[in-house]
Amino acid sequence: MKNIKYTEILKRNRLLATTVAGPACRIGVLSNIVVNQLGEVLEYCLRSRGINATVEFGNYDNITQDAARLSDCNVVIVFWEIADALDGFHANSHYMPEPMLIEIKQRLRNEIDLTLSALRSTSLVLFNAFTALPFTADELRASSLDDMACDLTGYVRQQSSPNVLMIETDRIIAATGLAAAVDWRQYQMAHSLYAIDFYKAYATHVTPAIASLMGKARKVLVLDCDNTLWGGVLGEDGEDGIQIGGDTPSGRAFQQVQAIVKGLQKDGVILALCSKNNPEDVETVLQHHPNMVLRDTDFAVRRVNWEDKAGNLMAIAAELNLGLDSLVFLDDSEFELGLVRAELPMVYCVKVPTALTEYAATIRQMRALFFSLSQSAEDRQKTRMYQQAAARRQAETAFTSLEDYLRSLHLQITIMTGQDVPLQRAAQLTQKTNQFNVTTRRYTETDISRFIDSPVHQVIAFSVADRFGDYGIVGLAIIELDQTAGRARLDTFLMSCRVLGRNVETAFFQFLRTSLGARGINTLEAEFFPTTKNAQVASLFEQFGFELTDQNEPGGRRHYVLDPTRAPKTQIDYIEVKAP
Amino acid sequence: MKNDRIRTVMADVFGIDAGSISEDASQGTIEQWDSLRHMNLILALEEEFEVRFPEDQIDQLASFKLIALSLDELAADQ
Repeated sequence: MKNIKYTEILKRNRLLATTVAGPACRIGVLSNIVVNQLGEVLEYCLRSRGINATVEFGNYDNITQDAARLSDCNVVIVFWEIADALDGFHANSHYMPEPMLIEIKQRLRNEIDLTLSALRSTSLVLFNAFTALPFTADELRASSLDDMACDLTGYVRQQSSPNVLMIETDRIIAATGLAAAVDWRQYQMAHSLYAIDFYKAYATHVTPAIASLMGKARKVLVLDCDNTLWGGVLGEDGEDGIQIGGDTPSGRAFQQVQAIVKGLQKDGVILALCSKNNPEDVETVLQHHPNMVLRDTDFAVRRVNWEDKAGNLMAIAAELNLGLDSLVFLDDSEFELGLVRAELPMVYCVKVPTALTEYAATIRQMRALFFSLSQSAEDRQKTRMYQQAAARRQAETAFTSLEDYLRSLHLQITIMTGQDVPLQRAAQLTQKTNQFNVTTRRYTETDISRFIDSPVHQVIAFSVADRFGDYGIVGLAIIELDQTAGRARLDTFLMSCRVLGRNVETAFFQFLRTSLGARGINTLEAEFFPTTKNAQVASLFEQFGFELTDQNEPGGRRHYVLDPTRAPKTQIDYIEVKAP
Repeated sequence: MKNDRIRTVMADVFGIDAGSISEDASQGTIEQWDSLRHMNLILALEEEFEVRFPEDQIDQLASFKLIALSLDELAADQ
């Protein structure tokens, strides 16, 4: 975006406003300086990522007052400029006596408390770290403005709940360059400190966080082999001729890149290979080359063949059961990248830089693309789980009926309720699950915690295991209860796509209706909200025996009802359900 | 040519049809031309024409003709 003209952004943004659909993402901006130019730049950045974003602004210098009003936005961004904490503070703070500074600091802390408290139920708050950098970059000692910025940033960190993500403002200023980030003329004439270049960098910086919230995080890094994982061409140079590790600059560069990629995998990014090579040659290097950091077991999927890469990328996405827009593709060949860009524009393409000295930096920059709001232990397990899935698929072929096969898996569901529900994972499931999700309501850890504490809600998470391994916590249901009336409403029911096709949902629902029935519930209501991705659960409630009560809702929403005390149509006897 | 470029920038900034902007256009005739968008317009014109308007003129550049005049003066100075 750096090189797109401002008017071009305005123009393209207007066009995208008419074409981008999907769930609305409302972004509210609170600020004590004028930052309105961020609006269209951020909208453009998000809309080109397929996110149906609209930015709205609080009143100028009304952060605390407007926080509650904007708190129902999906995302709230806080631009709190320390230099404008009071009128002319950037200048007056130089001569202010210490007691007065302390008093101002205390006032700001109180305002921060009020603001954070008003925003505690907002899904995501992007709170810019306080900084005095534009005003103090040349100082040899920290000034009173720096001290105050540092203190207040620490205070926000200490007070904030997990829905608050601190944005390191200085990093964005550094990426833009101070002289280009700040516009003194706009500051003096219109209380607007930052220049368009800063907003471009800011939008780029925060987009992965908003994408993660909207279930659009990139999840898979697909790598080419020759001149990407290692230097040289394996088919020509041979296993001993390729450059990886050792004491040459290029060998070192490729080894560093592999190490950074390995770190991505540790953080939960799924790795895949897509290379035109002889598969046996690549396997040999992956298993035996002494200097390789990445090994065969690090890749969840490998497509090493001579077919075109667009087709291979589609196969990789299909095998992982993920959308093409969750893929990032790294290759050294402009030809291959060009083909993928043309055929699969939703795949994010990265080119290995021509200057190898810049390669590690390019890959480090790419890390941000995979940002995920909740990083849990589950992520780190992912590659192993996908590999177990491959082993399962092989076992699948040995059975004649699907039921025989499922029976042989010895599937087990373990139920967790109340305080035993892991908040981070539960929130992550609501944020990331798009396909098996009847209402696609996105919740934060704070939201989940509120449901758990609420007397009229029940939160149930479940994990699934079979004889090949543990899938981890893969399902979540949130139920609103009115026990005196004997009524319940299914607010959320979702399941990770890893456990699809095993009748786990049916076995879980069997458990749910029995346990609700035992509590005297005779009316269970459910809703289906269609999205572009959840067609597979469109008839789920019919399968469970629900009755359709209303299908004329806007957006194709459907309402259902069921008496859980009535016997279900089908019973699954081969999945064991362990409840506390 | 220059007037067409001004028209295009105005159309992009205000989100209106370039054809609807006459040379008599001013802050009074274009509804979208508020004080926030005035700054956006100045930045966009400076980017398009690679110039920098003198600070004391910015508030006064409130019509098509004044903008065109100021751009002519800046071009003559170079």
